[in-house]
Amino acid sequence: MSTAARLGRLVRGAAGEGGDDALPLGLTLVSGAIAVAVLLPLLWLGFRAAAIGPARAWTLLTRPATVQILLNSLALVAAVTAGSVLVGVPLAVLTVQTDLPFRRFWTVAAALPLVVPSYLGAFAFVSAFGPHGVLADALAPVGIASLPRIYGFHGAVLVLTLFTYPYVFLTTRATLLSFDATLVEAARTLNHTRWGAFRRIVLPQLTPGIAAGALLVALYSLADFGTPAIMHYDVFTRVIFVEYHAMGREFAALVSLQLLSVTAVILALESRVSGGDRAAYVSGGARRPGRISLGRWRYPATAFAGAVAALCLAVPLGVFGFWLVHRSPGPGGFAFEWAFAWNSVSVAALAAGAAVLAALPVAYLSARYRSTVATLVDRATYVGYAVPGIVLGLALVYFGSSYAHVLYQTLPLLVFAYVVRFMPQAVGAIRSSVLQVDPALVEAARTLGHSPGAAFRRVVLPLIAPGVAAGAALVFLTTMKELPATLLLRPTGFDTFVTYIWQVQGAGYYGQAAVPALVLVGISALSMVLILAREGTDVE
Amino acid sequence: MDCDDGPGRRARGARGTVGGRFLTRRRYLGSLGVATSLGLAGCTTLTGGGTTTEKPTLADFRGSGPLVEDRPRPGGTPMADLPALSGELTVYLGGGEGGEYTELIELFERAYPDFDAHVRTDASSSLANTIIEETTGGGSPADVFFSVDAGSLGAVADAGATTPLPQNVLEPVSSTFESPDGDWVGVAGRARTIPYNTDTLSASDVPEHVRDVPSAPFADSMGWAPTYGAFQSFVTAMRLLDGPERTKQWLTAMNDQGVESYPNEFLVSNAVADGEIAAGFANHYYALRVKSSRPDAPIELAFTKNDAGALVNVAGAALVAGGQKQTLAANFVRHLLSAEAQEFFATVTFGYPVIAGVAPVGGLPTIDDLDPPALDLTALGDLQPTLDLMREVGVL
Repeated sequence: MSTAARLGRLVRGAAGEGGDDALPLGLTLVSGAIAVAVLLPLLWLGFRAAAIGPARAWTLLTRPATVQILLNSLALVAAVTAGSVLVGVPLAVLTVQTDLPFRRFWTVAAALPLVVPSYLGAFAFVSAFGPHGVLADALAPVGIASLPRIYGFHGAVLVLTLFTYPYVFLTTRATLLSFDATLVEAARTLNHTRWGAFRRIVLPQLTPGIAAGALLVALYSLADFGTPAIMHYDVFTRVIFVEYHAMGREFAALVSLQLLSVTAVILALESRVSGGDRAAYVSGGARRPGRISLGRWRYPATAFAGAVAALCLAVPLGVFGFWLVHRSPGPGGFAFEWAFAWNSVSVAALAAGAAVLAALPVAYLSARYRSTVATLVDRATYVGYAVPGIVLGLALVYFGSSYAHVLYQTLPLLVFAYVVRFMPQAVGAIRSSVLQVDPALVEAARTLGHSPGAAFRRVVLPLIAPGVAAGAALVFLTTMKELPATLLLRPTGFDTFVTYIWQVQGAGYYGQAAVPALVLVGISALSMVLILAREGTDVE
Repeated sequence: MDCDDGPGRRARGARGTVGGRFLTRRRYLGSLGVATSLGLAGCTTLTGGGTTTEKPTLADFRGSGPLVEDRPRPGGTPMADLPALSGELTVYLGGGEGGEYTELIELFERAYPDFDAHVRTDASSSLANTIIEETTGGGSPADVFFSVDAGSLGAVADAGATTPLPQNVLEPVSSTFESPDGDWVGVAGRARTIPYNTDTLSASDVPEHVRDVPSAPFADSMGWAPTYGAFQSFVTAMRLLDGPERTKQWLTAMNDQGVESYPNEFLVSNAVADGEIAAGFANHYYALRVKSSRPDAPIELAFTKNDAGALVNVAGAALVAGGQKQTLAANFVRHLLSAEAQEFFATVTFGYPVIAGVAPVGGLPTIDDLDPPALDLTALGDLQPTLDLMREVGVL
């Protein structure tokens, strides 16, 4: 940054908060190009929906059934988001800032439900808690005749919350880890109570992290098909699914556009929540806060973490185990191979790497500069996340076979699809970390003669490492379980865990799905342990 | 990235034979080597994935278990009388039974060392959408579309994305099970049924006509899968046979009885076997699958007479337009209609064979006994009016 630019910044600072920051040209162009690239496939929806004609489109969108679905979707999103914050934030605080027994274990356990594909999770819940499920049968002799009905709104909310709250947990945790303890101590020396310090210092700094996670939860529950379908709850994705499978691509595209407009509203809402903190001066994590001693609260806290882990992990693992024991003689021609594991892991690693690379400029730009352009670029990358996989997959089938024949049905296009779908997970995690890096540190590095690149590499990158790691982990784990876009875009003959599970499960051989489901969770757990362990040593 | 061979093919490792086990093991070890040396390729050509063991015999094409014992040799054209399959072929394989159909293609590959199929599996409608989008774009890589659902074959044909099949392919199949223009041919039948729980009901409790089901005493304990393609085909058949008004009345009557919705018909059948519901609407083979994994499951099949409830739909195949390998592709479809392949569909997937000389597995009525309605299966592809109707009465 030139002296003039720094002077300009000082002048603007003196003049108050009005006006946009001057954006660095190169970074803005790169970020803008990334945003355009991830939005481009969605043009396809416009092509297809346009074929309907405005009159019929209006009739379709305003009939009672469609309106009901809109309301159902909104209710689901609101309830799941609220539930995830209520579960995820306390778990993050407990595992980062308190002396909860076995914190490492609970950290991993709390993050793990993310690796369970929601269609498997929901099916496991129905198998366990549904009428005549494993649990119902087990409890029958004890005299418990029937369990509360699992199907419907509350079932969908329960299952989606249990498998998506880790987004809030991980982003909140990343924020807490790069939290500067001196601020709280300063507040305490200024006679704030512990609670007062939490409310006035900790909470405002946590808000961007919580909001980033909540946004992912909201968009995920909007785009998820498996859980609402299995829980018999009617939402957008079910209509889209039905239409695609009835060859009604035009109406499916129209409903997808409606879903995207809901997405836009959610994105705008989240901007308002965390927007006040954008480019705020926030000190970086020089020192971790002292651990809060739980004392007697240790027991309920452990019980809480244990109950969540039992519901999220013990239920699906128990059901997979049950399938494994009671497996049927499956289709002989489709044996599980360890190569599927390798395919899953390596393609997910590629997607994580690519997504982090794409997210870094976008997240840095939007965290550092107060500007409409930076905000728009940041928000644009989230749109793909709310697009159901089948919609994005078909859009890329069209673009791939029309304009990128060389890339069609190859890994690069598949990885691109994953980046479009999952990059916002990395953007959110990285942005909230960047917000906590004191810009003065960068300027200090620059005055010591470092180039902007070197200053970023040597000062910013080490400080945002927990956010980058969390972002990469989220993309890695969600890519491993992504199904619809994988089926549509993978190279012919390229099988992964989920395509295998899909195949045997579709044929009704649940026993065969147990091994890959267990291995999927195992590998994900292992990577989660490695990531979290590394993250811990970096900070401590 | 260019793959000559993929894990999908490896996945179809040979079955129970000693040689097969050895091969699977070698492929497994080999694939790890590839994984570390070539990174993400997912190609197994180096490991000799194409080398095969002994040629498969009729026993390899036959399933096992009590339903399959004591069957006569299948009639029809044996594979030995067909031209050999040779070269590479891209097959889009649509449908839930993919795992089993891939096994059949693997058997072809074992029989013909020079034949190499690249199989792409997904839901049949997804692949139909894919082929249509690809054809709208720059052309489809697929040579053959092999789908469990006549509706998706019809949709691809309507979009002009197929080439008519040669006469010698269509010949052995009854015209009921092929498109009038020869755009696709059925290879295995699937009957609509009412699976019922034998602890709750007996066969005589199930009405003879599907129109009487909503007023049956057990109608308040039934399940269906309204988002499932096979169910929508059934409603389409009812709409075409009885008219939209009576179909709406039927759907409303079922809905008023509180019929439970499931995501697919395997789960409907599973719920019947669990006693969660007394009966349901499902394709016939799901109940057989439940039984093959749980022989004691209290589930049996009831068939209605000469109405939508007795519809027999097909899995079939079509040649994708613009493919460079039409001769090989047509020969591949002929192989799907060979004596061995038809025996496979009958005994492994519990489907209905479509050629004379091969019988369905024991316990299933023959197609003649079934008394299916007279209906052009291609018309089942016209789903939009059906969906509108289902939405109108609130079941979608």
